[in-house]
Amino acid sequence: MKQITTAVILAALIAAIGLVATSEPLRIGICKIIEHPALDAVEQGVIDTLTAAGYVNGVDVEYLIASAQGDFATAISIAQNYRAQDVDLVVAIATPTAQAAVEVFRGADTPIIYAAITDPVGAQLVASATDPSGNGNVTGVSDMIPVSAHLRLLMDLSPDIATIGIVYNPGEANSALLTEMALAAAPSVGVKIVTATADSTADVPLAAQSLVGRVDAFYVTTDNTVVSAIDSVLAASEEAGVPFLMADPTSLAQATLAAGFDYYEHGLTVGKVVLEVLSGVGTDEIPVTYQQSAEVHLNLDAAARIGLVFPAAVIDQAAGILYGGTVWKRGTP
Amino acid sequence: MALLWIHAVEQGFAYGIAALGVFLTYRVLKFPDLTVDGSFVTGAAIASVLLVRHGFDPFAVMPIAFVAGGIAGSITGLLNTRLGITNLLAGVLTMIMLYSINLRIMGRPNLSLLRVPTATRVIDAAWLPLGPLAILAFVTLLTLGIKLLLDGFLRTEIGFALRATGDSESMITAQGVNTKRMKILGLALSNGLVALSGALVAQYSGFADVGMGLGTIVTGLAAVIIGGTLVRSSRVGWMTSSVLLGSLVYRVAVILALRYGYVVGFQASDLKLITSLLVILALVVPYARERRMRKVSAC
Repeated sequence: MKQITTAVILAALIAAIGLVATSEPLRIGICKIIEHPALDAVEQGVIDTLTAAGYVNGVDVEYLIASAQGDFATAISIAQNYRAQDVDLVVAIATPTAQAAVEVFRGADTPIIYAAITDPVGAQLVASATDPSGNGNVTGVSDMIPVSAHLRLLMDLSPDIATIGIVYNPGEANSALLTEMALAAAPSVGVKIVTATADSTADVPLAAQSLVGRVDAFYVTTDNTVVSAIDSVLAASEEAGVPFLMADPTSLAQATLAAGFDYYEHGLTVGKVVLEVLSGVGTDEIPVTYQQSAEVHLNLDAAARIGLVFPAAVIDQAAGILYGGTVWKRGTP
Repeated sequence: MALLWIHAVEQGFAYGIAALGVFLTYRVLKFPDLTVDGSFVTGAAIASVLLVRHGFDPFAVMPIAFVAGGIAGSITGLLNTRLGITNLLAGVLTMIMLYSINLRIMGRPNLSLLRVPTATRVIDAAWLPLGPLAILAFVTLLTLGIKLLLDGFLRTEIGFALRATGDSESMITAQGVNTKRMKILGLALSNGLVALSGALVAQYSGFADVGMGLGTIVTGLAAVIIGGTLVRSSRVGWMTSSVLLGSLVYRVAVILALRYGYVVGFQASDLKLITSLLVILALVVPYARERRMRKVSAC
């Protein structure tokens, strides 16, 4: 009799927990520093991953989505609002928002998942990229791109390429780091790097123009300022008659070729880390995830305008091409 | 929930120090100074570099930031008074120069303070009995202290000369006051306060970023003008208090928009719109009441 009572009570408890779990949706705060196609795509990727895994928006999970709209004080306020509202998990997109979240959630055990950060160790979000045991409640995905592989890809295009020009904004943490990496990698790759800086979108055309005649190829990393005026870089490269490699396939139409991942994919990867944490894996068990990015995309229309014929080796590794204004993915008939 | 309002007041006061700086140029000197978007970052940058690379005391870096901001302000003053560059352009030029200089100071665009002891974290640990009120108490004491010092300064002889320079330059020149020097002094003090605010905000936020100064002039002016509308007084003490009140109103508007905006169906991208609508509301209510009162007295 006693055992039956215990069993009934246990069953009732389990049912009650189940009820609580279904009636109280999970609350996830997603914040970004500014509205931007790449950052918006990350946000969407995270939500889509969770939806695909069965977290129905409004039923199982409630999203508190916020953008600091470029204002750093607001980035802090957003994190403070999340903490005051006791959210279950925070997804922080871009460096300042992630740093603000880590500072505000100091002492709390709410998981913070960062996204779109090139160097999470340099930003001191985590202590170590490989050993997560000391990283506390913080983990996430880095959008580091393989800079030296990109430089080699450019050199594969033609034996004449000896100097590569990079247009970047020294005020963007990610971009400054990637440019620094390119400069460091240049001697071992066997190429010379010339840089031109643009502090704002309005300065990009001039910076790009300043490289015409001085470089054999143009290269732009994931630099938000330059990407906003990317047409002017393509125009400059075509005026010089040299190829332009863009480290973001979403901009393929504005480049001769593009390598890397698009930010929606990045968001999907971040979503997977979120799912892992929700399934009970501790943030101090998940090392920094690096976005895999091996894809090469070719813009044959732009190549034709500068009289460039892609070598067979490069065409072989292309995942997609833009030809006659249409994007063709490998595998599509 | 109370926690969120505590944070609103903390931020209102921390940015209030910068607003006091803007008040000094815009209201007292009648000099629209755009240097502040750069000098705010200079303060944050100097403080962060000293904390991260040189192990300075988190409180000692604040007066150092003040001095650095003062130098930035004097450059604008020199450009304006000695080289005859108009006030707006002088400020813009210094602000642009500071962008590169701030990058040089930090050595990189973003410097994290997450792993060094900052003033707010030291206070949080030292004033443990105050609990969540510790940082609020520290920021409030610091800001009110600075306000009282500024009030005292504006009542000294030099302070009077500074105010007179803004009110009527030709008259005070006739009194034998060197208005050029007064302008440089005012700009130095103003940008010193702005840089001090930057040093405090960087420690409060856990990082310094070369982009964090963007909009300092806008929020500073907003605080000065909101405060001036809510409290109409020409007495120094009331005027500086009104600036801090204006800064608080602005931060509360942001928090309200963040906390309750989505409840009434706004989306994330509407934030700045809602914030501004709330500020308009804060300005209109006393205005409407005043008009009604005037109508009543006219009858």
